[in-house]
Amino acid sequence: MTTVAAPPVAEQRVGGRLVAGAFGVCAVVAAVAASSLTAQQAVPGIPMPGPVVSVGLPIVRALLDVAAVALVGLSLLPKLLGFRNPERSEPVLLKVRPLAVMAAWAWAICALVTIVFQTAELNPGAVPTFGMIADYVQSVGTGQGLLFSAACALAAAGIGLMAVRFGEKVPAELRVIVALFGLLPIPVTGHAVNSVWHDPIMISMEIHVMGAAAWTGGLAATVVFLAPHRDLLAAVLPKFSRMATVCLLLVALSGLVTGLGTMALTPGVVLPEAIVTSHYGLLVVTKTALVALLVPLAANIRFRLMPAVRQGRATALVGWAAAEVGIMGLAYGVAVAITRASIA
Amino acid sequence: MRRLLTVLLLAFAAVGVAGAPAQAHNVLISSDPRDGSTLAASPERVTLVFDQAVRQGYAQVGVTGADGSSWADGSAEVAAERVSVKVRPLPAGGSYTVGYRILSADGHPVTGKISFTLAAGASGAPAGQTAPAGQTAPADSAAAAEAAANGGAGMAVVWIVGALLVLAAGTAVALRRSGPPRVEETRS
Repeated sequence: MTTVAAPPVAEQRVGGRLVAGAFGVCAVVAAVAASSLTAQQAVPGIPMPGPVVSVGLPIVRALLDVAAVALVGLSLLPKLLGFRNPERSEPVLLKVRPLAVMAAWAWAICALVTIVFQTAELNPGAVPTFGMIADYVQSVGTGQGLLFSAACALAAAGIGLMAVRFGEKVPAELRVIVALFGLLPIPVTGHAVNSVWHDPIMISMEIHVMGAAAWTGGLAATVVFLAPHRDLLAAVLPKFSRMATVCLLLVALSGLVTGLGTMALTPGVVLPEAIVTSHYGLLVVTKTALVALLVPLAANIRFRLMPAVRQGRATALVGWAAAEVGIMGLAYGVAVAITRASIA
Repeated sequence: MRRLLTVLLLAFAAVGVAGAPAQAHNVLISSDPRDGSTLAASPERVTLVFDQAVRQGYAQVGVTGADGSSWADGSAEVAAERVSVKVRPLPAGGSYTVGYRILSADGHPVTGKISFTLAAGASGAPAGQTAPAGQTAPADSAAAAEAAANGGAGMAVVWIVGALLVLAAGTAVALRRSGPPRVEETRS
């Protein structure tokens, strides 16, 4: 009774790998490309970090985002599936729960490795010792933020383990909250402004980070795990679609507010010229273009494919979703560079 | 009830994070000597002024001649928003680049450079200008103020322990709530 329709599984599993892989590969490639294009140029007389750090840091930082998005998506999936039909949803969730634990562990490890790399970045030419790392965490807010994020990820792993053991008795909301909680310190690692607008911009940034994670993770998890089960997909995709619409608006709006606000409030930056002359401005333009590109793709799934999905008909959902998730991955990669690019 | 808990948790987290001290991105606003200026005498020290206090430690300033020779004497000194380094007597008639890499208040390394030239007839020895006396003295108090503003690692530990306690309590409550009325939980 719980056996899944056999024929499409093998094919769809490839589709699922395509969606997940598109996101990971796009994020890492975009992070390395954008970071090296906008790297601060070497100045005479100052030692700069070696290639291991300058390439490794964006990779680890992008992997942190990938793991965080995966955890948020995998935590959202039980919530989207609901408890209506445990006979159908339980086989899917049995696969989802252990993966959520793995994603949480990956997130925590990436956050800790990021601390090591950032310490190495500030001490060029030296392999970071434990003392240097402790010093960095003690004196720099970024290190504390990442440590806090790692702690939240470990807590999420613990709760995920409980979910593996006790199933849906561990409320899905709790898992979602803990995952989003771990995202909160991430904006602290980015730019900040010295003005009364600091707090509104920080909150806008928090909304941006959480909205992006819920949107991307939700889409990827829905398509990867539910594409082979048309009845579940027909129930979940409309729910996700409503959430995605809200996320799209929140992410676009908060992104523009944060990007333009940060530039406007940084001394020595002249708008609107800085939008095309500074690295930060160019990356803001790139991200805006990527979000603009997402709109037609999302609309295609929402208005063209979803009626067919609702009726349980076969659609090209996996292909379109892979394209959308790939572009989201590019945006995440650019986000890694934008937190470090020079504003002026 | 559960939604209430959600909202409370998120609000608590948002306030906690947003309530952190404002830490912004440092921008170079002026320097002594000024960028692109021509000096008549070799400066005794080079000072860079940023829009806000620079973090202690991690600051590096180099003075490099056109042939790649290094002229900075000792390491950079940070006093609030001023970063300065002593300079050995410079040969006249050369152009020099001051490169810097500081740790911005928001935790990013910021690099940049300015340049100046020394007039051909300049005196090689430093001019009689005295370094501002109060520049190195406040370094200690600046470090203390910065530590207080950051809260140090002790604050991070408090945060982590607090968060883990909140999470543990939330888990316990959630498990207890969804324990006995299991049928209701899974069916509705």
